[in-house]
Amino acid sequence: MSVLLTGAGGFLGQVLAERLLANGVTDLRLNFRQPSGHAVVARLAAAYPSASVRSAQANLLDRKVLPSILEGVDLVVHAAAQTKGGAADMTANSVVATRNLLQAAGTAGTRRVALVSSFSVYQTEALPRRAQVDETTPVETVGVEKGAYAYSKIHQERLFLELCAEHGMETVIVRPGVIYGPGGGAMSARVGVSAMGSFFALGHGCALPLTHVVNCADAVAVSALRAPAGTVYNAVDDDLPSCRQYLRQYRREVRHMRVIPVPYWALMLGARFLVRYHRRSKGQLPAVFTPYVVRSMYRPFTYTNAALRSLGWNPIVSTHDGLHQTFAYLRAQDSAA
Amino acid sequence: MLRVGIVGCGKIADSHVEQARATGRAEVVAVCDREPLMAEQLAVRCGVPSRYSDLQEMLRVERLDALHIATPPDSHVAIACQALEGGCHIFVEKPFALTGDAAATILDAAERTGRLVAVNYLYNFAVPGLQLKEALEAHALGDLVHIHTTFGYDLAGDYGLAVLSDPNHWVHKLPGKLFHNVLDHVIAKVAPFLGDSTTAQVLAFRRRKASGVPELDAMADELRFLLRSGDLTVSGVLTAHGRPVTHTLQVAGTRGTLELDYANRTLVPVAAQTQPSAIGRLFPPWVQARRFAGNGLRNLGRFRRHEFHYFQGMRHLLDQWYVAIESGGTSPVPSPEILRTCRIIDAIVAGMGGEG
Repeated sequence: MSVLLTGAGGFLGQVLAERLLANGVTDLRLNFRQPSGHAVVARLAAAYPSASVRSAQANLLDRKVLPSILEGVDLVVHAAAQTKGGAADMTANSVVATRNLLQAAGTAGTRRVALVSSFSVYQTEALPRRAQVDETTPVETVGVEKGAYAYSKIHQERLFLELCAEHGMETVIVRPGVIYGPGGGAMSARVGVSAMGSFFALGHGCALPLTHVVNCADAVAVSALRAPAGTVYNAVDDDLPSCRQYLRQYRREVRHMRVIPVPYWALMLGARFLVRYHRRSKGQLPAVFTPYVVRSMYRPFTYTNAALRSLGWNPIVSTHDGLHQTFAYLRAQDSAA
Repeated sequence: MLRVGIVGCGKIADSHVEQARATGRAEVVAVCDREPLMAEQLAVRCGVPSRYSDLQEMLRVERLDALHIATPPDSHVAIACQALEGGCHIFVEKPFALTGDAAATILDAAERTGRLVAVNYLYNFAVPGLQLKEALEAHALGDLVHIHTTFGYDLAGDYGLAVLSDPNHWVHKLPGKLFHNVLDHVIAKVAPFLGDSTTAQVLAFRRRKASGVPELDAMADELRFLLRSGDLTVSGVLTAHGRPVTHTLQVAGTRGTLELDYANRTLVPVAAQTQPSAIGRLFPPWVQARRFAGNGLRNLGRFRRHEFHYFQGMRHLLDQWYVAIESGGTSPVPSPEILRTCRIIDAIVAGMGGEG
């Protein structure tokens, strides 16, 4: 089976390429936006000498080049997305890129497509406190209220399902929680935000839905290769820490920060004020926190990986080891800076 | 209320929607992008009622008073002329045009059709720029001797990352690449003081390490230039590496010097030493401190009155432009200044050749 992985140069993509090979893929094409992925290809080819690993450099916004990278591909694992920047850039590189890829894949006769989506698509605002977020949780219909990234992922997922249905391609969707690990970022907005020289802790006792990049990559590989068509899987690890525990360990093992805890009620009050001020001042301050976002992200929910486990997936890296390993990396980065 | 449309639904289009609405004089009735998904995202996020992927159709159906052009600059001539012929006034995002000749084509079309043209030279309408204009109109500086301008650029920011991660980004196709996209901001501030025969000396180079991608490595990230127009000289530093990222102008005249900081929105006269000897050197820092404190207080007042938006200059410019449309007046950005700006950029870009 020939597999094309998009976003192979990204934080998740680089590990995902390795996990696809480890899960038995013998013909792997790695899509990089820039012609700079040769080192990754060479490293993987050396580690898996019996497999064919090739570079498939293409910008997914350039429709003309896509037929050539999709020729003979049975499975597309679509991990390319933009996670930072403006809303328009995220739409271009997540939504438009997905449309281009799937139309080309449909034309090329690709049988199956696995999409790396996000927890941000879930409509958690309407859930009661301590509800379990699982694959049956409703998905946002539009998602503008949740911010630019969530909007782009919701739009991407909706388009993904429409186009795969149109072209008769099998679908699998994996929705990771907070992907972490060496090479990744330090602090999810679920934990809090840095501003004015302090760290404003927002998540408190809420469970932080972490998934180590190796575990997440393995979850995507296993789902893409083995899951029944039309299924969805949440990727989270076991033994999830609370945001408070994560922050405490980060301060102990990486660096000390001045932390200002913001209780939920104060955050909600601040969000209401900010939205009113944003309207009254005609946008002088951006409404980055809205009551909708606060209710969606900063209330306690529980998470499960039971569906993934039913596929035979098990975490490779424990949360205990993953956090130590990640914080050691972040400490080294901090020292180097 | 003016009926306004926007063509080009990329990153900067959000600020066009927001600032057009904030003036209270325009209603954004439609957006257009040849990529329907991009038009959709802007319309849905910003609550714009209509969206199009065909500009001609939008112009025909919506009967716009004004069109904001926020597409990449290589499309500006065709779109601007199409809109002008269709009876729209046009507000063009910078860079106004790829060359002075292309700019002249747009301006000629505007004159022929009797429509108003403006370009988003927002810094001329930001508070320090407006204060400078007042000072010069009052001849507070005497005759101008030299202007020094700095413009910092953060390649680690959203836009820098977009440019550096995509060899096919339209910025790499501009003759002056990254700097071609920001030179309007730098030159538009000094163009009103320069004549039409301005000479340029230029140094441009890449300071960052090579990536191995030819399109990316061809992009200079440091630029210095020296312009001369009669007795007035202008020096410029555009830097992607100098920190902090600054955006300043120092205007020296025969009677005094002003320092403008567009990022921090301050304008202060440079303090002269008026007392003799070592004693005299004690006073200027205190004089400057008082002047900066005054700027800080006035900015606080502007913040309180909601006049301190990131794009406040653009809002002010749009307000003046919409008033001109409503009243049949003239554009707040005179056509000769637009053309002069573009011609000077031509000279700087020509000077960058071979040094990138």
